[in-house]
Amino acid sequence: MAKKLLSIRIVFSALVTLAFAYGVYEALGYAYLAKIFPLYVSLVLLAVGLINLALEIRDKWKGVAEAKSGGTADLEVKWDMQMSQVLQKFGVFVAVIIVLYGGIWFIGYPLSITIFIIVLYRYVAGTKWHWALVAGAAGLGFLALVSKLLYMDWPEGLIKLPWPLG
Amino acid sequence: METVFQSLGVVLQPGHLLMLLCGVVMGLSIGILPGLGGIVGMTILLPVIYGMDPHSAFGLLIGMVAVIPTSDTFPSVMMGIPGSSASQATIMDGYPLAKKGEAARALGAAFTASLIGGLFGALVLTLIIPIARPLVLAFGSPELFMLALLGMSMVGVLSGNRPIKGILAAGIGVMIGALGDAPAVPEYRYTFGIDYLMDGIPLVVVGLGLFAFPEIVDLLIKGRAISETTTLGKGWLDGVKDTLKHKFIVLRCSVIGVIVGFLPGLGGSVVDWIAYGHIIQTSRDREKFGKGDIRGVIAPESANNAKEGGGLIPTFLFGIPGSGSMAVFLGGLLILGIQPGPSMVTENVDLIYTAIWSLALANVIGATLSIALSKPITRLTVIPFSYLAPFMVLIITFACYQATRSWGDLVALLLMGILGWIMKQYGWPRPAALIGYVLSDNLETYLFISVQRYGAEWLTRTGVLVLGAIIVFSVGMGIFFQTKRRAPASGGEHGEKAA
Repeated sequence: MAKKLLSIRIVFSALVTLAFAYGVYEALGYAYLAKIFPLYVSLVLLAVGLINLALEIRDKWKGVAEAKSGGTADLEVKWDMQMSQVLQKFGVFVAVIIVLYGGIWFIGYPLSITIFIIVLYRYVAGTKWHWALVAGAAGLGFLALVSKLLYMDWPEGLIKLPWPLG
Repeated sequence: METVFQSLGVVLQPGHLLMLLCGVVMGLSIGILPGLGGIVGMTILLPVIYGMDPHSAFGLLIGMVAVIPTSDTFPSVMMGIPGSSASQATIMDGYPLAKKGEAARALGAAFTASLIGGLFGALVLTLIIPIARPLVLAFGSPELFMLALLGMSMVGVLSGNRPIKGILAAGIGVMIGALGDAPAVPEYRYTFGIDYLMDGIPLVVVGLGLFAFPEIVDLLIKGRAISETTTLGKGWLDGVKDTLKHKFIVLRCSVIGVIVGFLPGLGGSVVDWIAYGHIIQTSRDREKFGKGDIRGVIAPESANNAKEGGGLIPTFLFGIPGSGSMAVFLGGLLILGIQPGPSMVTENVDLIYTAIWSLALANVIGATLSIALSKPITRLTVIPFSYLAPFMVLIITFACYQATRSWGDLVALLLMGILGWIMKQYGWPRPAALIGYVLSDNLETYLFISVQRYGAEWLTRTGVLVLGAIIVFSVGMGIFFQTKRRAPASGGEHGEKAA
């Protein structure tokens, strides 16, 4: 498991380094005044990124695990399950969000998010249907209230529905 | 002095008080939710403050951020899960106390300590403004550029498990900030031909993507309730008395809080550990620590509220945020049309004092509400996370869409969220990225002005040289300590963090 984790680390580090390389490449084409800042920043970062990548690879080579954080809590999430399982669940969550976005594109934001809330309550939280419906209605009510009070807007769908559904 | 009391008058107006109260209630709620802290709270409020008068907006923003370290104590004490990163050390002794049936005592002590710490932070901020004024005014663009660089290098070096990753994370932030139109010339950078990117990615999207999204996902994956059944027990007054008895601990840790808040890069996630480590090192009888010593609750709680006052100092005076939430606050100032930095002490001193009064008042209201409403709030922590998550998705998507009201906001949120999640899993410090993002424009503008005005000579100015030396020193020290830390891999947890 540790090996796999390390390899995702390396891939991410490599991608970050590549992004900085692209930053350098792209900046070369800009007008002088627009170029300096991103060019120098990404040049420095490209070098630092390469060093980081080398360190990551060395660590994997030697089988050294990452050092403990210096106290920043939000680093180093501890999981009581396999990382592959975590990644799988993460994938499912992202997929659900993409489906939600698809819904927003098609039937608009309020109705999609209401359905989203109802479905999550029913199938993830495992509540009874009527509680799920209450939660959905509460979400819709909140949206309607906030958008009226604070003049906020939401994405409309392909299918236009009457307020507050679309 | 006159301005100080004029601002008090503004703060006590009903409209402002109402905003402050809204902020406090929101802050208390966000503090209770595990993982979500000042950054997410501030970011959610950004769409609301567009077009608001600055005094009211300050009530809302500062009211919220001031009390998060107050209410985040609930989950720390009741369940041993930090409500936000500033309350982790509280768990060490707060949770054992709750297991002994003394949760009320721990909370009473914590809220009193929070209150005193918060007021202390506000007091220091008040005193420092007139003292720092001449220094601030002596700073030109070259010095401000170096200061921003110093802030970022400290964030990077101190917040990661490997300084190099911290620097890279800050760099990711700077490059995200460089997307879109260049400050000095009409040129669009890194837009990939996408119209949405021409104005750059908005702060709301970056903040919620990097911080809220990963938190929601992780809590859903873990799938547990914030808290199990909870009983408060008795001893509120004992807790208050405990804090008053240990007034010197409160004072010392408040000083620590202000200093840590003031230094860029440390912020919420270490202030509690530093205070906790300090109190262990300076106590003669250490046996009870970790088993329910009330001093272990008082120390981090007084420090974490005091840090907000400290954090506002560099934010207002130099436009350099001391922490992630201050970075968002800085973005909020720009939305309100206020340019932080030297002009703040000449043109907008009244606003600074409004902020200070709001900070003090919010701490009082927050602590009072936390004690008065402790029973219902404790019940809130029993709600399983899967009940809250769908609504949190609603709030972050809705808030993000307000940024430019285009589909780009939603897509960018998802992409930033994925980036933030990966960074979180693999030890890339996200606060560094956020601060880099917020400072990106300033860095470029300061550099531009420096070069235009002084040519290459800006590098030889005394202030620049001094700041440059500090940067080299701090990065060097960071790398030195990091290599030392790596050698004994299993060092004592608090001892190491207190170092």
